[in-house]
Amino acid sequence: MTILFPVFLLGLLGCVFGIMLSVASKKLYVFSDHSIQKIIDVLPQVDCGVCGYQSCAAFAKAIVEGKRDATGCIPGGAKTAHAIGDILGISVTPAEPEMAVVKCKGGKKESTLRCLYDGIPDCHAAILAGNGPKTCVDGCLGLGSCVRACPFDAIHISDNEVAVVDPEACTGCGACVAVCPRSIIDLIPVVHKIFLACSNHDRGARVKKYCTVGCTACTLCVKATPSGAITMASNLPVLDYAAQENFVVAAYSCPSDCFTDLVKFRPKVNIDAKCNGCTLCVSACPTNAISGEKGHRHVVNKDKCIGCGLCLDKCPVHAIAMWGGLGYTEGGKSNRLRITA
Amino acid sequence: MMADKFKRSVFLQNPVFGMALALCPALAITTSLKNATGMGIAVLCVLIATNFSVSLLRRWIPYRVRIPCYLVIIATFVTMADIIMKAHEPHLSTNLGIFVPIMAVNCIIIGRADSFASKNKVGASIIDAAGTGLGFFLALLLCALIRESLGANRLFGVTLIPHVEPMRAMLCACGGFFSIALVLGISSHVKLTRSKKQ
Amino acid sequence: MNIHALLQLVASSMLINNIVFTLLIGFCPLCGAYRRLSGAAWMGVAVTIVMGTTASCCWVINQYVLVPRSAQYLHTLVFILVIVSLVQLLEMVLEKFFPWLYEAIGVYLPVIATNCSVLAICLLSVGANPVTGRPFTFVEALVNGIASGAGFLLALVLISGVRHRLELSNVPAAMRGLPIIFLSAGLISLAFLGFTGLSFAPMFGG
Repeated sequence: MTILFPVFLLGLLGCVFGIMLSVASKKLYVFSDHSIQKIIDVLPQVDCGVCGYQSCAAFAKAIVEGKRDATGCIPGGAKTAHAIGDILGISVTPAEPEMAVVKCKGGKKESTLRCLYDGIPDCHAAILAGNGPKTCVDGCLGLGSCVRACPFDAIHISDNEVAVVDPEACTGCGACVAVCPRSIIDLIPVVHKIFLACSNHDRGARVKKYCTVGCTACTLCVKATPSGAITMASNLPVLDYAAQENFVVAAYSCPSDCFTDLVKFRPKVNIDAKCNGCTLCVSACPTNAISGEKGHRHVVNKDKCIGCGLCLDKCPVHAIAMWGGLGYTEGGKSNRLRITA
Repeated sequence: MMADKFKRSVFLQNPVFGMALALCPALAITTSLKNATGMGIAVLCVLIATNFSVSLLRRWIPYRVRIPCYLVIIATFVTMADIIMKAHEPHLSTNLGIFVPIMAVNCIIIGRADSFASKNKVGASIIDAAGTGLGFFLALLLCALIRESLGANRLFGVTLIPHVEPMRAMLCACGGFFSIALVLGISSHVKLTRSKKQ
Repeated sequence: MNIHALLQLVASSMLINNIVFTLLIGFCPLCGAYRRLSGAAWMGVAVTIVMGTTASCCWVINQYVLVPRSAQYLHTLVFILVIVSLVQLLEMVLEKFFPWLYEAIGVYLPVIATNCSVLAICLLSVGANPVTGRPFTFVEALVNGIASGAGFLLALVLISGVRHRLELSNVPAAMRGLPIIFLSAGLISLAFLGFTGLSFAPMFGG
């Protein structure tokens, strides 16, 4: 009897619970759109909150209910948007992918401190405590508020004590942009690899005193960009990323090295036999890399060539082409932007 | 290979220090070395028995209901261990209180059953259980060593330094937290220095 | 229904014998990362609901099935079955009738089912009431479950706040992560020792 009772009881309990749960799963069945689960499967599963919802599951539900657009998941990018479009049977046009850049490169090597900060290692806290330890009141403090905000571990503080974004890992979600207390992180289109790495609104020789890579508003970059894609606003050049311009010449022309070029090896130009020796490219080259006399085929000094592509526009016989890590680009004005990507 | 796996279960994948599992018993019952020994042996026996059974039955347990099945198997062995302890060591059983039945939902036991025993042969499962159980036992002994020596000035009931008032706080709940923080900190430090050397 | 005894039981389950800081049971969730305070708070709410329902059900089964047959040795086994099934049922009921609540706590329910604390409270609910010394009645078991859950919620909220502060502190490399959390939890549990002897007797003329 003592053995029979537990066997009987447990068997009974098992049956009762089994029946209760199966009945409940039928009676309490909640209709869930299967497409919600399919959408959840294609989302990045990071639960970063960029879309405005706490979890990827909530966002998927919102898409199916029509509250949100399929392009709402920025970290997922174009791939995810198209996948969601396939599931729902609609066509999507993803937004242009962007990435974050920190517009300051004045670290401990380049910039001076006016005091020592020994407090909570957070940028907001440092600013509350007397606007930070750096002499430049617009620069990156390097204390890591952005690092903590990034859900993808794409931004880090370098050895030079400034924040640097990893272009491979950045998804353009904008979490760091919102958190930076000095608003020096910005989103730029991924195809553009050059940005101005300075945010100070000061001008002239004063800037040199506290930062060797600070922008002095000398406007040399504005003058060097013939397309007019750079304008000045409150002592800082503003780059128009919508223009057909790759900003290589501007970056080269800056005497303080204020621009950051994310491309390590720019392509070089090559002049082929079609050249008729008109010397139009010789005068166009900002670095005097092309040499040659009138009537003879011109030669490019590869060491001096910065890969800006100005000569490609000028050549009347399309004898110039660019070769290098960014691919092969032929002559023609509309191709100059391709040099950025 | 078996010895290697055994060593790995004890040290690298030590449930308490390596994976921070099953901290509930590690904190609560390590007030004396005797309790820690009793609990460690109980967990070791239940672990081996569970891994053996799950490994034996692994082909017949359906995937979707595997956790409830494991729970039933583990609870059976835990009940057996509880009754045996009540019969042979009633004092220990009173000291350990509800932590013996709590073993039934111990993360380590379910974890090893689910991740290892359900996919491997009986022999390997038993070695894994023995290794993990021994690792857990060592972790318990370490915490109990700190707590009993500091909190009661005793080791296995033998007074250490006569006429000295011990730190009674170490025997309270906070002592459990402090001792495990200390042990985890030391093991973390060891890991860091090791990785720095490499 | 002795209000004094019930109030004392609430204080006992929630503060004096706080399940995390005094009984040291079920703080595996505390080690997990809850980036937002709301996440920790909803987990606490989920635990409270589960503890309340399972404690009362286990008490009923114990009283009317196990005790008459002197089968207390089946506690562990039966209670585990009850807990796992009840949590599953609770998940389904919540999804159907309280979808807003399900959205908030649905993720945590499977984790809670195998949490030590729920089983511990069920086992304690069939034992002796620490306030009166007699076995629990049904109402007392229910109150014990809910109050213990509230204590767990309190613990989760406290630890979540501490973790927030620790993020910005200069913690030594070896202590980063779990060790410093345990150290902080130890300090909180030291503080909770101050609740021993908390009594409502003066309120009731004692």
